[in-house]
Amino acid sequence: MDRRKFLKNSALASSVFFVPSFLKAFENVDLSSYGYNKLVVIQLSGGNDGLNTIVPYRNDLYYKARPKIAIAKNEVIKLNDEVGLHKKLLPLKRLYDQGDLSIINNVGYPSPNRSHSRSSAIWHTASDSNKHLQSGWIGRYLDVYGKYAHQAIEIDDNLSIMLKGEVHNGIATRNPSFLYKGLHESNFNKILAYQNSRHLNEHNLGYLYKTMIDAKSSATYLHEKTQNYTSTQNYPTKNPLANQLKTIAQFINSGINTKVYYANLVGFDTHAGQVNTQDRLLDIYANSVAAFVKDLKRNNSFKNTLILTFSEFGRRVKQNAGNGTDHGTANNVFVIGKNLKKQGLYNDLASLSDLDANGDIKYEIDFRTIYATILNKWLKVDDKKILNTSFKHLDFI
Amino acid sequence: MNKKHILHLYWRAGFGLLPKQLDNLSGKSKEEVVEELFLKSAKITPLHISTSSIDIFSKDALDESRDLRLEYNKLNASLMKNYSHRWMDRLVNTNETLREKMTLFWANHFSAKNGRIKYVKNFNNTLRKHALGDFRKFVKAISKDAVMIQFLNLHQNNKSKPNENFARELMELFTLGVGHYSELDVKECARAFSGYKNNFEGEFVFSTYQHDKGMKTFLGEKGAFEGDQIIDIILKQKQCARFICEKIYGYFVNENINNSHIHLMTEVFYKDYNIENLMRYVFKSDWFYNKENIGVKIKSPIELLVGMCRVIPLRFNKTEELIKIQTILNQRLLYPPDVAGWKGGKNWINTNSILVRVKLPSMILERESFTIQPKGNFTDQFKLVYVKNKYQEKLNVSVDWKTYKKQVKKIASNDLLFALVLCEINLGTQNYLKTLGKLTKKKNLAKIMSLPEYQMC
Repeated sequence: MDRRKFLKNSALASSVFFVPSFLKAFENVDLSSYGYNKLVVIQLSGGNDGLNTIVPYRNDLYYKARPKIAIAKNEVIKLNDEVGLHKKLLPLKRLYDQGDLSIINNVGYPSPNRSHSRSSAIWHTASDSNKHLQSGWIGRYLDVYGKYAHQAIEIDDNLSIMLKGEVHNGIATRNPSFLYKGLHESNFNKILAYQNSRHLNEHNLGYLYKTMIDAKSSATYLHEKTQNYTSTQNYPTKNPLANQLKTIAQFINSGINTKVYYANLVGFDTHAGQVNTQDRLLDIYANSVAAFVKDLKRNNSFKNTLILTFSEFGRRVKQNAGNGTDHGTANNVFVIGKNLKKQGLYNDLASLSDLDANGDIKYEIDFRTIYATILNKWLKVDDKKILNTSFKHLDFI
Repeated sequence: MNKKHILHLYWRAGFGLLPKQLDNLSGKSKEEVVEELFLKSAKITPLHISTSSIDIFSKDALDESRDLRLEYNKLNASLMKNYSHRWMDRLVNTNETLREKMTLFWANHFSAKNGRIKYVKNFNNTLRKHALGDFRKFVKAISKDAVMIQFLNLHQNNKSKPNENFARELMELFTLGVGHYSELDVKECARAFSGYKNNFEGEFVFSTYQHDKGMKTFLGEKGAFEGDQIIDIILKQKQCARFICEKIYGYFVNENINNSHIHLMTEVFYKDYNIENLMRYVFKSDWFYNKENIGVKIKSPIELLVGMCRVIPLRFNKTEELIKIQTILNQRLLYPPDVAGWKGGKNWINTNSILVRVKLPSMILERESFTIQPKGNFTDQFKLVYVKNKYQEKLNVSVDWKTYKKQVKKIASNDLLFALVLCEINLGTQNYLKTLGKLTKKKNLAKIMSLPEYQMC
């Protein structure tokens, strides 16, 4: 971040956070100026095998390429005469039947990168494949339209680049009250009591102090706003994603002014023994999302929530020797919400006879057109300011 | 050598110094101080653990019985915990400081993990053995190590069905960096490494039957290459030396890369790929001691913990608790997040981790203060609701205050602060420190260690 931007940001910090009744500032936030719509982003980390998720169960090429790991015709949950869902995705079929699910196929980007960290960074930063950006698309959304760290929350201990902007960062927390308790248990408040914005510099030490200030203001806000809400929805137990989505529902249903949430389910890197691993993970995914949607519906907040699920890449069409699949390219993306414009399958599955030189699926839809559509039509902001390029808008919402 | 520079060197090549250790070194020249670091690390002391409890399990017996496998896994898990604790103790107590710091660095470069203690022990000692050695031998040893073979699916990389996982990461993360090879190079590289396996004991096995003996075209060269030859071709690229130098610079000097320094380092390293020579060059360079490089690095959780333990001797009586602390701080030894390792720098810091870091010293040193008593003017504004959670348990730690008191006896407040905090202290925090009285008092140690400035090295 450049010095001028940083100082400007610090000046904001001083005026908002160091006045004695700084909490008052939050009560004045005009939610209507941002709209009430929330976005929940779920990443299936490791590269989910999209071809075994949305299955072309009548395609011989599919069964030929995957003799040991293909989903059998009689196990597929059929969506139409050609396409079916993985057998563990029955809860998603229900959403599909209700018109709350849109499946966008063959999503990717030009010159695909098959490295986890790189392709993940490309999806997080919305960059071209050959460009390295230091900020994420949600972070830049905060830069332009956000005010507070807690307007984008990652349910984790670490903040991903997706939520890091040039000036503003979102926050990472697993639990709405843990952060707040920490303020009182240590020297934290005492150290901050002696600071003012003039002491902050733009280097790493300044970053530590700034993070402390952000932590204090956002922790206090989140604790205050959520402490009276308890969810009555049952979530699957021993399920890492359900815990995250339950926390997100708690935030959303408490009426806080957070715009974007990010959850992550890891383990999809199925180079070996894919069948069991993917079965388990898709089961976790489908059941936790189903509970989450129920929870939102019960609290009348589903209509204002859009859930976007992506994975950094799909996997190779051909299985490998370990009954798994190697890193591939284009993949499917799920959009879940009320009043979708285009329900069900947004487009056809890719051809398996027309693959790229590596034997991977060719992409048809640039993932950034999905971001642009969501920014513009759902979060109602100028997507060009955030993506720095004008992308086509799609019509799924 | 100037005291600030000695501290800087010892924070980057080690885990800091106590005031008295600093005094002892300060009469010496830069040449002497740096050479002493290397001399002390000349020896290689493997990190051992007895695995006799699992040595009785044979592969055949395990293949046959599920119960046996469960027991075997359980024993492995418990030995892994002990091993991680031993590693921590080693970092705190070793005199081979530089070698151990380098081992920690390489463990995050050749980032891999496994649940079998025998494999992990060998891998850890491979990192230690080559930490200051020949990078060429190092990469070759890593490519034949069971932990890496398993972690990047090299054992499933066969002539008929190649698995590219290792081939790609070898170039992307271990030697060249993204953009310095083609997709074809990845495929050809995978072919050359086909047939790499390990046996039950974790020894390298080369399966000629599964090896693709055909011609390969790799980075412009043609031949019936095997893995070692591929590594030789990679090391011919100057980009490989440059990539490693950038990584070392980012870790030991400054995360903001200075291209002219990298250029100088690359010239030194490319000559013979000798890691010790490279590090000697870095630590003796004038630019290493430039002001912009001192006190600007955010300590990793392990650097933070080890540094604390070197100031105040303490023992975690429960290994589980030590592991829990590492997990909360996002750096659990032996368990890097993925093949790219921990990113480090600002990535260590977020709203959660800064809270834990500020709280950590009192969690460890002042257990009694840990029942929550909200203080200050917040009480009348807020209704405080506390939910008991795992972070509020008291830690079972033995703290050796006697030794600490001996260490700081007759030490002035400012000298203690100088030795413990490397970076310039924020004006507001200077005022805060003035309210604490004599800093060498027992009660003030946790307060100093909770400062944001203490997070820097």
